[in-house]
Amino acid sequence: MSRFSQATIAGAGIGLRSTHYQDILNDKAAVPWFEVLSENYFGDGGLPLHYLEQVRSDYPVTLHGVGMSLGSTDPLDFSYLARLKQLAEQIEPAWISDHLAWISAGNRYVHDLLPLPYTEEALNHFAERLLQVQDFLGCRLLIENPSSYLSYRKTDMTEWEFLQELVDKTDCDILFDVNNVYVSGTNHGFDPIEYLHALPVGRVKEIHLAGYQKHDNYLFDTHGFRVHPPVWELYRATIEHLGPVPTLIEWDNDIPPFEKLVDEAGMAQKVLDEIA
Amino acid sequence: MTDLRELQHLFRDAVFEETSDGPALQAFSKLINDSAGLSAAGHLRIYRGAILGTLTRALGNIYPVCKRLLGDQFFDGMARIHARNTPSQSADLANYGGEFGDFIASFEPAATLPYLADVARLEWHWHRAFHAADEAAMDLAALNNVPLADTGRIAFRLPASARLLDSNFPVQKIWQVNQDDWQGDQDVNLDEGDASLIIWRKQYGMRIDELDSQESQLLGAIDNGALFNELSQPDMGLELDTLLPRCYQQGWIAGFTLDA
Repeated sequence: MSRFSQATIAGAGIGLRSTHYQDILNDKAAVPWFEVLSENYFGDGGLPLHYLEQVRSDYPVTLHGVGMSLGSTDPLDFSYLARLKQLAEQIEPAWISDHLAWISAGNRYVHDLLPLPYTEEALNHFAERLLQVQDFLGCRLLIENPSSYLSYRKTDMTEWEFLQELVDKTDCDILFDVNNVYVSGTNHGFDPIEYLHALPVGRVKEIHLAGYQKHDNYLFDTHGFRVHPPVWELYRATIEHLGPVPTLIEWDNDIPPFEKLVDEAGMAQKVLDEIA
Repeated sequence: MTDLRELQHLFRDAVFEETSDGPALQAFSKLINDSAGLSAAGHLRIYRGAILGTLTRALGNIYPVCKRLLGDQFFDGMARIHARNTPSQSADLANYGGEFGDFIASFEPAATLPYLADVARLEWHWHRAFHAADEAAMDLAALNNVPLADTGRIAFRLPASARLLDSNFPVQKIWQVNQDDWQGDQDVNLDEGDASLIIWRKQYGMRIDELDSQESQLLGAIDNGALFNELSQPDMGLELDTLLPRCYQQGWIAGFTLDA
């Protein structure tokens, strides 16, 4: 179904950030692949696209976005999707991902991934839109579990049941964010291992790792820290259960020097190598 | 579909409503669980803080000079008010913030800095130029090949990245002395006078060029869609023989079409 690159994504990659272009291109960084934040390259020209062209000519890349708003009850934004498709044709990612979330209501965007109520209504709505988007883009998408800080009273199923159903209805793949599941599990009191064991093995095509921030009464997903020890532990259990799924280190706030990300990716690679 | 739609609209309203414990928050709180450490409203406030924080940071990244002129605390407070009152209408956060200059112009507490709104407009043009389409150089050979009878129909165009800005204040100077790498004197004499600027990108180099009155008048007319036959009217007073070649050479005119 994929019409994009056949480049192999394997091992522990790093999220591409503009502060690291020079480190990557000058030093020919030994990183197996990079993940590109789609919306950062939606401009018509200029330096970002110029650097991206260079990175993607040396490394396999994936596209990861926050803008599809698949769970929203607003109409699908086909100008957004057309721009995404154009970018995908240009840089040929191995795949495209977005989130199990919504980001707009009444055409007002919040630029934050808001959780859905896990109801039959939301499932059917999300699945129908995901099918439309997959059809439009001509490829299967990876859907990522979000971090969340609230839960709804009215639900028909758990988040993992929702994801299972979604895979059945739409044939999509899953991007399993180990940090997010730890954060949400802590915030809502569910067991991340139960979530992990409910995932359809073989459908999880990518894993995300990042650092959360601890507040008094909850964990917050800042992508601004090293991966915390309990998340490493859960990651190890994830790889033992799912096999050596390609893994990405994400860092978005207080972005550190590139070497620190390489170091972090090295730790993930070590887990992948030990268990493979 | 109505349950989900209503829930999402209520969530949105609870995030952006002005009071910290307003009716939307109270209504929305009834739909969500409280937990050991947090009330239902407390859960929503996590999102409120994160969302307004993201929009405020986005404005701070686009408007660093305004932020420096006002100080972090004042700027963030002002940006937060703007973020609450001015919806983002695009999934791409880079499209957010274009109305900030007009907002500043009407924001009473910032009135002591009368030049601030124009500094903001300059920063917005800079932000847009950074992401604008790349341009090839003006095709002078093609221009020379336009038959004499058709020259009146020439419609010049500015580079896709270019925006013009007229200000009663020396905003370019203000912008310049507030850059991190500025080494010289930070004083700006506000009586230094007006500025006519073109903010644009030459290949990958960002530029703010000052225009003299002839250049400003010409480029302004082109930007408003004037054809060559209008530009060449005597009452325009433009010395096109020297003016046009100078604008081609600078890159301020990037191309042309023939109007039908």
